[in-house]
Amino acid sequence: MRTHKEVVIPHSVLMSVQSPGRYVGGEVNRIIKENIVKALEDTGFTSAVRIAFCFPDVYEIGMSNLAMQILYKVFNEPEWCSCERSFSPWPDMDKAMRDNNIPLYTLETKSPLNEFDVVCFSIGYEMAYTNVLQMLDLGGIPLRAAERSDDDPVIVCGGPVAYNIEPMADFFDAVFMGEGEEVDLELAYEIKKYKENNKKDRQALLRRLAQIPGVYVPALYKDEYDENGRFLSLKPIEEGIPEVITKRIITDLDNVPYPTEPVVPNMTTVHNRAYIELFRGCIRGCRFCQAGYIYRPVREKSAQVLCDNGIAIEKSTGYDELGMLSLSTSDYTGLAELTDGLLNAYEGHHTSLSLPSLRIDNFAMELMKKISSTRKSGITFAPEAGTQRLRDVINKGITEEDILKSIRLVFEGGWSTIKLYFMLGLPTETMDDVKGIADLAIKIEDLYYEIAREKDIKVRRPEITISTSLFIPKPFTAFQWEAQDSIESLGEKQRYLKSLIQKHRSINYNWHGFETSVWEAVLARADRRLAPVILEGYKKGCIFDAWDDMFKYETWLQELDACGLTVDQFIGAIDVDAPLAWDHINIGVTRKFLALERKRAYEEKVTPNCREKCAGCGAACFKTGVCYE
Amino acid sequence: MSKKKQYDERVLAMTRQQHLTHYVLRTRFRRYGAVSYIGHLDLMNLFGRTVRKTGLPILYSQGFNPRPEMVFALPLGVGINSEGDYVDISMSVKVEPEEFIEKMTPLLPDGLEIVSVVYKDEPKNSLMSVVTHAEYALEAPGITDCIKKIMTMDVIEVEKKAKGKIVTNDIRPQILKFIEEQSTADRACLMVMAGSSSNLRPESILQACVRYAGLEQVHADNAGVTRLCLYGGEYPNTKLIEDFV
Repeated sequence: MRTHKEVVIPHSVLMSVQSPGRYVGGEVNRIIKENIVKALEDTGFTSAVRIAFCFPDVYEIGMSNLAMQILYKVFNEPEWCSCERSFSPWPDMDKAMRDNNIPLYTLETKSPLNEFDVVCFSIGYEMAYTNVLQMLDLGGIPLRAAERSDDDPVIVCGGPVAYNIEPMADFFDAVFMGEGEEVDLELAYEIKKYKENNKKDRQALLRRLAQIPGVYVPALYKDEYDENGRFLSLKPIEEGIPEVITKRIITDLDNVPYPTEPVVPNMTTVHNRAYIELFRGCIRGCRFCQAGYIYRPVREKSAQVLCDNGIAIEKSTGYDELGMLSLSTSDYTGLAELTDGLLNAYEGHHTSLSLPSLRIDNFAMELMKKISSTRKSGITFAPEAGTQRLRDVINKGITEEDILKSIRLVFEGGWSTIKLYFMLGLPTETMDDVKGIADLAIKIEDLYYEIAREKDIKVRRPEITISTSLFIPKPFTAFQWEAQDSIESLGEKQRYLKSLIQKHRSINYNWHGFETSVWEAVLARADRRLAPVILEGYKKGCIFDAWDDMFKYETWLQELDACGLTVDQFIGAIDVDAPLAWDHINIGVTRKFLALERKRAYEEKVTPNCREKCAGCGAACFKTGVCYE
Repeated sequence: MSKKKQYDERVLAMTRQQHLTHYVLRTRFRRYGAVSYIGHLDLMNLFGRTVRKTGLPILYSQGFNPRPEMVFALPLGVGINSEGDYVDISMSVKVEPEEFIEKMTPLLPDGLEIVSVVYKDEPKNSLMSVVTHAEYALEAPGITDCIKKIMTMDVIEVEKKAKGKIVTNDIRPQILKFIEEQSTADRACLMVMAGSSSNLRPESILQACVRYAGLEQVHADNAGVTRLCLYGGEYPNTKLIEDFV
């Protein structure tokens, strides 16, 4: 029997932690369905489905997440369903809650998580896994799915990591593959019917959920390994359970609910702005990029609908900045129409537009002059690799000439701060490619002085920042079979790069730690054998692994070792014909295509983007988007 | 430069000039509940967003990053409720207080309410410089006895962190009056110095009660703090903030 008991958080607890505004709710546009809670209090029953939507990171990050805002709206739309939000408490609050026996609660009605019918996680990155366990634990819910009883909530998750959720398979009852707008409600509806039936049989419920297209119920599958510890297969344990789960996508983005009245945090968050979503997917097909494959096919929203969204959202939130989200803003076909429409509508409002991932060309420069209230912060480029050879390997689709032409425009436009993003450890990378990074940065430095002389402007020192992250082989990419570069080799490359730019005072170099990237690679490609490792790591105090200062690499290595596993097992090269732990998921893009892309990578051959020429990736099976333009 | 462009520039310059005239709505507000746990900057942004949502002709600051022109009387600390705080909100044309209240009220989150608004044509002094005193209500078991006790002392030393160092301060001169008629055994109201020249934080009073009058730490930690009102002028001839120009 589920009842409702409000969690009380003492004033002294809130005053003892950093940023207590994270834990109190009370925001504009939040949705509280009082009647559902009241029915529960009065009669001890409601057939309405109560969903706790959890984001396994702090409030400020979670509230900047568009998926959460979209699904919050979707779940709250039907009368018979209510959705409330919860976030990971920061370690200070985590401790205060444990010390004071305060269970993790939702911000809307302060209900403990174990009071809900469904607890739903949106996971954007693998390093948030331990925070899922933290939230379940604080919420009073058994961590392992197998330990849950009929009275416990159904624990589900979605998001990009769902495509290989095997390391977390022990902890989730059901997993959504793909975009949640439709499938989430189908699941909620099954739960409603189940509640109305009033016959408690969790196993039967899970079997029914497994019949919903796009829903994966890990407990209904069994994993197998060979004598060398290599993954062999993952198969349904009984008849009638789908062998392959195909992701769900929204075919018509114009006709899907969009949160034009999002919850507006009272406190400052990571991104203090409203959002519109231009399109899903990416036409480019960079071979390392998981997002580029899993969101296929590219589907655009019409400029008219987006403009209406932008006007409505500015009115309902009061934000003075509108962010345009997509994987590559310049590839949006209606960009000129949309920005003109919005600039027109915002005339005199002092509302600015922010256009991330813009490819710099003449149009972009014009646009930037129009939109920015001339905040001349830095401009970011992501060549990803230092030489043309390696850029062809990863199918980046830009040449050095393109880059220098863009940077010329930027310098001529009066900017002098440039950020350059690269990856180290990409497949086939040599020291020449590493040198290429330095060469490119030095060419850019020279270009600045050349333009300064040409234009006869006062020469300042440009600020050129090189950032390198480390290549992580991710499932569902052309590089899913690749090995991750070793820490020794990466260290050597970093030192070499550093030595090459040492004398150039206008070039700075930032790098990303190796150890978090290694662990991320392990989590990304591991199978079910990792679940006990994650559980033990959590018990040893690992949470917020995504935060460098909290990441405990040594602990993870120890736990891995204690379970008889090694890092190399998961970050080493995989045979192209070997079974993969995520083979039972179908994202549309075929394994055959990914293997072909891998081959073309080694041949240093570029594959044209989706609008130039269809490469036959398989995503056309969804019968929509760019494949049918 | 084209004729049209020249004309536009002139209009713009004139508008800017005109905008130097501030049509100010001196707004008294109260705050309680969830929204009390945000910081001062967050509260400013929250007011800014809400004023923008009304569609009223707010005045924006000049410069690269224009923001609604607003001046708060005195920052409100995290976790402190208020019955009478003030913000001056500038409009580019005259807006009637009634219209302002009507448009703002439904847009504010729970826990933020506009109490009253007076129109000021062109305030001579910045709102911040006007504030000299504040009344607080402190709620904790037996707090009134504690306050009475510390007020009999000549010197009340409390410790405060300043620039990483702990400094000892005598706060006795900053406590002006215990307000008997508004207090009960568990709720003590008092008037203290506040504002830019001398400011006593309610936490310091609670600390003194723990240190010298036997208030239990757990009660001090859980004490409810409400700022009742802000005043300007010299004690005892203080005046309400509304009355200043």
